[in-house]
Amino acid sequence: MKVFLDFCMWFFGGFILVYMLFVIVSYCAMFVIAMLVMRKRYKLDPSEYDDAHTDAFYSKPVSLLVPAYNEEIGVVDTVYSLLNLRYPQTEIIIINDGSTDSTLQTVIEHFRMKPVDKIVRTHIPTKQVKQIYESEIYKNCILVDKENGGKADALNVGINVSQYPYFCSIDGDSILDEKSLLRVMKPIILSDGEVIAAGGNIRIANGAKMQLGSVTETHLPNNYLVIMQIIEYARAFLMGRIALSKYNLVLIISGAFSVFSKEWAVEAGGYSTNIIGEDMELVVNIHRLIRKKKEKKRIEFVPDPVCWTEAPQTLGVLRNQRRRWHQGLFESLWKHKTMTLNPKYGLIGMLSFPYFWLVECLGPLVELGGYIYIVVAFFLGKIYYEVAIILLLLFVIYGVIFSIASILFEAWILNTYPRPRELLRMILLAFTEIFWYRPLTLFWRCEGLIRFVLRRSDWGNMKRVGIGEKEKSV
Amino acid sequence: MIQLSISFLLTVIVVLLVVLFLFTIYILVQRHREIRFTEVRDTFLQKYSQHWYNYLINDEIFSIVLVPRGRAQVAAIEIIFSSYLKNIINEKVEHKIKEFSNLYLKEFYEKDLSSKRWSIRMNALYRIADFQIEALLDTCQQFEKTKISEGEYFQLLKIYSIFQPELFIEKIKESSINYSESEYRRLFVLLEDDVFIRLFEDFDSWTKNIQFAAIDTAAVKRNMQYIDQLKQLLTHEIPEIQIRALKGLYEIGVIDEIDPYVPFVTSDMWEVRLMVAKIFNHVPLNYSYTYLEQLLQDENWWVRSQAAKTIVENREGIAKLQQFMESSNDQYAIEMAQETVVRKQGNK
Repeated sequence: MKVFLDFCMWFFGGFILVYMLFVIVSYCAMFVIAMLVMRKRYKLDPSEYDDAHTDAFYSKPVSLLVPAYNEEIGVVDTVYSLLNLRYPQTEIIIINDGSTDSTLQTVIEHFRMKPVDKIVRTHIPTKQVKQIYESEIYKNCILVDKENGGKADALNVGINVSQYPYFCSIDGDSILDEKSLLRVMKPIILSDGEVIAAGGNIRIANGAKMQLGSVTETHLPNNYLVIMQIIEYARAFLMGRIALSKYNLVLIISGAFSVFSKEWAVEAGGYSTNIIGEDMELVVNIHRLIRKKKEKKRIEFVPDPVCWTEAPQTLGVLRNQRRRWHQGLFESLWKHKTMTLNPKYGLIGMLSFPYFWLVECLGPLVELGGYIYIVVAFFLGKIYYEVAIILLLLFVIYGVIFSIASILFEAWILNTYPRPRELLRMILLAFTEIFWYRPLTLFWRCEGLIRFVLRRSDWGNMKRVGIGEKEKSV
Repeated sequence: MIQLSISFLLTVIVVLLVVLFLFTIYILVQRHREIRFTEVRDTFLQKYSQHWYNYLINDEIFSIVLVPRGRAQVAAIEIIFSSYLKNIINEKVEHKIKEFSNLYLKEFYEKDLSSKRWSIRMNALYRIADFQIEALLDTCQQFEKTKISEGEYFQLLKIYSIFQPELFIEKIKESSINYSESEYRRLFVLLEDDVFIRLFEDFDSWTKNIQFAAIDTAAVKRNMQYIDQLKQLLTHEIPEIQIRALKGLYEIGVIDEIDPYVPFVTSDMWEVRLMVAKIFNHVPLNYSYTYLEQLLQDENWWVRSQAAKTIVENREGIAKLQQFMESSNDQYAIEMAQETVVRKQGNK
């Protein structure tokens, strides 16, 4: 028995150590790439580009899709933030996905929506559209009332109704910076359409002051859980998105704010309605299509902070979110498992998929195993202490050091959190990450994996925190 | 080995923490300097904005207090100049800004051009073009000989297009860099008419992006001079060029004869038919109706939709469409006509 236990401990200890080293090396590499990319832009005056491209002559029109399910409080603010956008040509399409609250009535009354007869071309099959409205105040603002079918179905209706060559999906509880669309369209415009989808950098809005849909001032919130998520977003941004984007390896661009070429999205079948992570699914499907058509197209991530979203403030809501995210990730990877290590899909198959499987998807299992190992080793006695200590030190590098580096680098490059006290508070909190936040999120993500294996999916349609929570915090 | 690893890892962690600590100090010091910089800049703005207004708009005498001392004050002047240039079109103001920049800002940007940092050099190039600092043209040409990025070269082209259009044409001819259409448009839009027309002279020798951008710029300039150039392109062998030329002619909005456009009504490409349906917007309905009725029954949705829109825009449009709905058998076309009529009546 003891021999078996010894073998297990050495085997798992070794396995987890090698895995952690692998992850740390990959993160380091991505961090260095991100640093080089961002360093170049440091202090560059962005207004030159922004000013030139607010003219329709240099840009392309975009349809803004706002799916709304029971968003009676948040939807008006979201639409205002879209009306505030500095962009020459847009149409706003609000899709009421059979809300059971007064979302429809609120939008109709607030924007003086009037029913119109409009023939809709069905590029993608969807649930029944009940009525289309047009605003009497803002001519470019349309409301579509449809039967409930989930967020993906609502977005597909939006794509069908839209008239412009690009569409942008926006979560009903997001607030956009006025230049966000200009910035996110930049790679598309400058590449003459070689970039067919682009996603922006999402920031957390808790603690921000808002006025009619614009973020006027940011403060670090008091809630530790939210601060940890801010750190986490900075990490994901620097140790992942930028580097992956540089080599066209992006598999996820956040559904909270992303632009797609309508032609490509329609050809890829639009948003899938039977999957949790519909945004990732669309990106992967477009990558497949690019390979199939053998065209030189790219999907990019834009580092500019462009979209503000509300982070969960309670453990319960955060748990739900993380479980869902992870289940969605696993589901998408599993659905496209044949792409993994498949040379037919180029770097996406050979690098991106293995990375997402090993680091993003199965990582929590191994990491949680590492935590359990440390606890077990503590009880088993002396001989395992050393492995446990090494593991713990690796967790420190992985959790604490990387987090602090991300906070500092982001603060330096993007000039976020300008108050020194806020910066120091974040750094101090990052030291505690490995003791509470990390294990908790790992546990929830593993729950997501288990739920996928058990095929449990009881989240239904677009359950989000909503701006109702946001108003309380602001 | 494990002993060694623990001590090794501990060393790594300590070293990294020290580096991060130093980086924190650096950021805090940097922040402090930035705050000081902003204070000086804002004070200058507060104190001298009115002086600038008086000098630029009210023609008051130039005062030496307006000359910047240090970077922060240059930044303040940049804000002032940019806002004037962006918000008012006034040759006198532009001239004064140009004169001042050539005299007092030149040195700052000259120094910036030799900066190691790409972003600083780019910002300097932006300003040289915006404030028309012609005195730095030679420096720019010298700068071109150093190893520069595509972005910097683009800014140089922009500067040449302002100060030396001849050189500009020469440079884009020899350049191996292929910029995007929207970038070429930004360059062409600034060109004087005579230089711009020269782009059309060797139209076929340009790359695709330059050709497209030239057509689109001709359209946006809305100048009668370019109509002939665009008309010549209607027979071009590349369909995309035909479509763009049609679009350009539509945007200029002066259609003096219908005949050159009639063959496009039966084009194989729906985009061409769509554009011709748009062009008929600028033609009296009694000349174009026969063709528009044909386009209203087109197999393509966009063409049908555009034909209906074009008809309904005309004074007799609604009556014509109603007449069409009564006599036609084409269900799709009738639906389209109906929607367009209802919309038009709703808007009224």
